[in-house]
Amino acid sequence: MKNWIIELWHFRELLWALTLKEIKIRYKQTILGVAWAILQPAALTIIFTVVFGIFLKVNSGVVPYPIFAYSALLPWTFFTTAVSFGALSVVNNGNLVTKVYFPREILPFSAVFAAFFDFLMASIIFLIMLLYYKIDLTLNLFLLIIPVVSILLFTAGISLLLSALNVLFRDIRFVVPLILQIWLYATPVIYPLEQVPERYRFLMLFNPMTSLIESFRNFALHKGSVSGGMIFLSIIVSVLTFILGYLFFKYRERVFADVI
Amino acid sequence: MKKKENNFVVSFENVTKTYKISKGKYGLLTEMFSGTLGSVFNNEKNNSIHIALKNISFNIKKGDAVGIIGRNGAGKTTILKLISKITYPDKGSVNVYGKIGAFIELGAGLHHELTGRENIYLYGAILGMTRKEIDEKFDEIVDFAEIKKFLDTPIKKYSSGMYSRLGFSVCAFCDPDLLLVDEVLAVGDENFQRKCLKKMHSFANEKTVIFVSHNMDAIKSICSKVIYLDRGKIQIIGNSREVIKEYLDDQ
Repeated sequence: MKNWIIELWHFRELLWALTLKEIKIRYKQTILGVAWAILQPAALTIIFTVVFGIFLKVNSGVVPYPIFAYSALLPWTFFTTAVSFGALSVVNNGNLVTKVYFPREILPFSAVFAAFFDFLMASIIFLIMLLYYKIDLTLNLFLLIIPVVSILLFTAGISLLLSALNVLFRDIRFVVPLILQIWLYATPVIYPLEQVPERYRFLMLFNPMTSLIESFRNFALHKGSVSGGMIFLSIIVSVLTFILGYLFFKYRERVFADVI
Repeated sequence: MKKKENNFVVSFENVTKTYKISKGKYGLLTEMFSGTLGSVFNNEKNNSIHIALKNISFNIKKGDAVGIIGRNGAGKTTILKLISKITYPDKGSVNVYGKIGAFIELGAGLHHELTGRENIYLYGAILGMTRKEIDEKFDEIVDFAEIKKFLDTPIKKYSSGMYSRLGFSVCAFCDPDLLLVDEVLAVGDENFQRKCLKKMHSFANEKTVIFVSHNMDAIKSICSKVIYLDRGKIQIIGNSREVIKEYLDDQ
């Protein structure tokens, strides 16, 4: 593993260059350009606010529903964008993989970083919403680094795993959107964790995104539904996911060029 | 590390490379868990194996200019791919020392939505150059490729000649210890072909070049040594004039 990190460091400029490429290409020949990064979570927030906030009257507690939804859709959109692009990254860059050598994990990593760029763009809206809804901006905001880094690791791990699998089984391309859709409903994004009947709540905790999303929301909006133990557990799960994804990816990496 | 090996830039020892041509639907699934589990499910009839290279050994010394010739499917490109670590041998070992500049296919690594300028930086990074190095070489690359006027045009608008010129120039200026070139001369006009050959000539004087081509005149003019491959085996290896004569006689 040490050798991988040394090599990755050696190729850091390539990681940067490919991340820039991802960002540029995604918004080339679009009229709105980078604004799409903001529009995606914003549009979802509006839809969910209308359907779940107004029609179905989901109880978001003291927090107004729009910012309640956005505070979870922001990291969630990062997760889905990164995983969707990351899963396809190796196959989509097949011409590179079969013609040039470089550590292949750079491909899913650059997809994740490009999605992270979108996340940072969309965070600007979040900041504006925090001000608009007069949520106190306390030092708690700095604690957001914990869920953000955890989500990054978790997302990278899943992307590594799926991109390596997708080289062999192109089914992944069809499976990913489906799973992400189901996963959204299995995570307290549009509803609060407290609304889940208590005897089923422990089931939710098997989903690592539950505590990652919840702790992000908690730190930003000063709610207190996640315990320190849960946060600690989600960090461990994220790190493990990353390591396992990395190991699997490296284990399969050598045959990529032969199979693509 | 062994003492002698420092003289060799590339050394192949009993290298065999096969490709599995899976026909069965679950072939890949069983391959993935090859070994105990794989052998239970693996039906030999479902997988045919193509042997790309059969037990090949050779060494290339620093400063050599080596040509690889042979008919289509003889394994020429596979050798280049093994050297550049794109693929790995099934048996035997491949050792390479130094920085590789591989130009295995026209335009690999170039992205058609990006401009010429963006592509120089992207492809340079792919070839392991730092941003600073690219900055320094930028003008030379652009001059050599003759694309100054189209630097800020997306390269999907480029002609295929411009495409290959851009690819070759970035590769040639990334200052590798070992330059791998696969059939660049099939495209581009005569003027550019001459320029490429000249560049490879001057490169061959100080560094190592491995050159795959069907153009025997080009091979003769650049390479001192030639490997003649036939269906995955080395037919002859030696002085370029003699090997080429043998190859042409076989045709």
